[in-house]
Amino acid sequence: MDIGDCYVGWATDEDIRTRGASGGLVTAMLAAALEKGLVEAVVVLKKIGEFEAVPIVTSDPEEVKAAAGSMHSVPIVLSRYLEYGTKVALPAKPCDARSTIEQAKRGQVDIDTTYIVGLNCGGTMHPAVTREMLDVMYKLDPEDIEGEEIDKGKLIFETKDGKEHAIKIDELEEEGYGRRESCQYCAVNIPTMADIACGNWGVIGDLAGKGTFVEINTEKGIAILENAIDAGAVEITPADDKGKAIRAKVDGAMMNVAAAANEKHLSPIEGSHLDYYMNALKDCINCGACKTVCPVCACGETAKCTEFSSASDTYKMSLFHLVRFVHLMDSCIGCGQCTDVCPVDIPLTHIYQRFAVPMQEEFEYKPGMDMTTPPFFGVDLIED
Amino acid sequence: MAEATATGTTSEEWQPKIVMFCCNWCSYGGADSAGMGRFQQPPTVRVIRVMCSGRMDPVFILNAFLEGADGVIFSGCHIGDCHYVNGNYKATIKYKFLKAMVNELGLEDERLKLDWISASEGERYAQVVTEFTEQIKKVGPSPLKPEGVI
Repeated sequence: MDIGDCYVGWATDEDIRTRGASGGLVTAMLAAALEKGLVEAVVVLKKIGEFEAVPIVTSDPEEVKAAAGSMHSVPIVLSRYLEYGTKVALPAKPCDARSTIEQAKRGQVDIDTTYIVGLNCGGTMHPAVTREMLDVMYKLDPEDIEGEEIDKGKLIFETKDGKEHAIKIDELEEEGYGRRESCQYCAVNIPTMADIACGNWGVIGDLAGKGTFVEINTEKGIAILENAIDAGAVEITPADDKGKAIRAKVDGAMMNVAAAANEKHLSPIEGSHLDYYMNALKDCINCGACKTVCPVCACGETAKCTEFSSASDTYKMSLFHLVRFVHLMDSCIGCGQCTDVCPVDIPLTHIYQRFAVPMQEEFEYKPGMDMTTPPFFGVDLIED
Repeated sequence: MAEATATGTTSEEWQPKIVMFCCNWCSYGGADSAGMGRFQQPPTVRVIRVMCSGRMDPVFILNAFLEGADGVIFSGCHIGDCHYVNGNYKATIKYKFLKAMVNELGLEDERLKLDWISASEGERYAQVVTEFTEQIKKVGPSPLKPEGVI
């Protein structure tokens, strides 16, 4: 097994294979890593309803198996749950993987003991917005929903009486529902920065829907997959070229959609920029929630943004936000958590991206993609 | 006249408020030699001494704007002459970020400037201050100035 190899794999356990998504490979791999002692803990998503899941840290393989088939949740801020150096495996969307790598750069997470099992991601949905969407767009009771699925550009909900209700995603997003805004313009769908990238794209033929496509990216990726094979928990077969091509095609199509959304959402501000930003931030109540959940902020309780600003300031703009704008210019990964938690609905991710994207493009620096470039001083010190 | 300047309400012309951060080893000395050489310069600049231009923090500059500065200059030793080897390289990187940030925020490009002034360049110091003051006079008072601050 070498770095760059692609396989299609599935769990040997019948129960995990049926309950888990796409053959349950990821669940089986995580459970095997715990059982064989490769890691001490695993982060899994525990379903707390049809629309929501919370990340939990567990050392119990049964709990990992029970979490099979969980949906995507909010990005994971690994350093807040675990002590530095804990041997841990976590299933990660591209933004989770990127935030973990950014935390590792800042000395918050030990990358050598962290196994990142990447999952393909085409976007996530906000639980509260989804409930509202079901009511407004689908005319359904959110409590009646039993399952959801995305097929051929349509978002399909299945109700308890077995009926399927489908609406085009484009149509939903036009109305302001559907995926989170940050997910709409996120162009990283395959987690190439993770140790191992898993997903159902590129699984064809008899295995379609029953297997997971796996790409090995690092030595750690080899270790966690081989460990699962040795434990007899998963079986793999080499992926064929057709599958690889289909996977690349899906990724390319998703990137085009993201580029279009990027143009739509981040189009230049009309009129005064200052008025736009002052108006956007005028409702801020200084709660600090956006900073608390930010996966790339490693400052802790005492930070420049909080220490030098106070709710009693009478400035035209909050210094807290201005400092965070600069702070995130090199490192914002656009995960969307700040917008999600904001109690007064300020589109913070959108604003941070406006500052961050041009800068990251100028320095050709994409945060969280690898460990080689440090933050901020990533630029060569001896230039011009 | 002295009273008029203190309240900022000169009868003829609006005088901008400029905050200038000077490094201890070069630019602050430059300001000294400008005074010693009696080079004429407008009284618009408030100098704040920092040990090195590398000490400049984005917070200082953003806070200066929020407190009512119409323009901010930060200044240090020429590249290669830094007392702390590479502090001014670090300053250039911070400057790039700040410049992009100030532009995106909608403040005029002219309001922020980075310049290198050595301790012996008194005349150049006076020239930089004069030119920058003229620039700021053209763009007018800062839109971030709090109510009641002149």
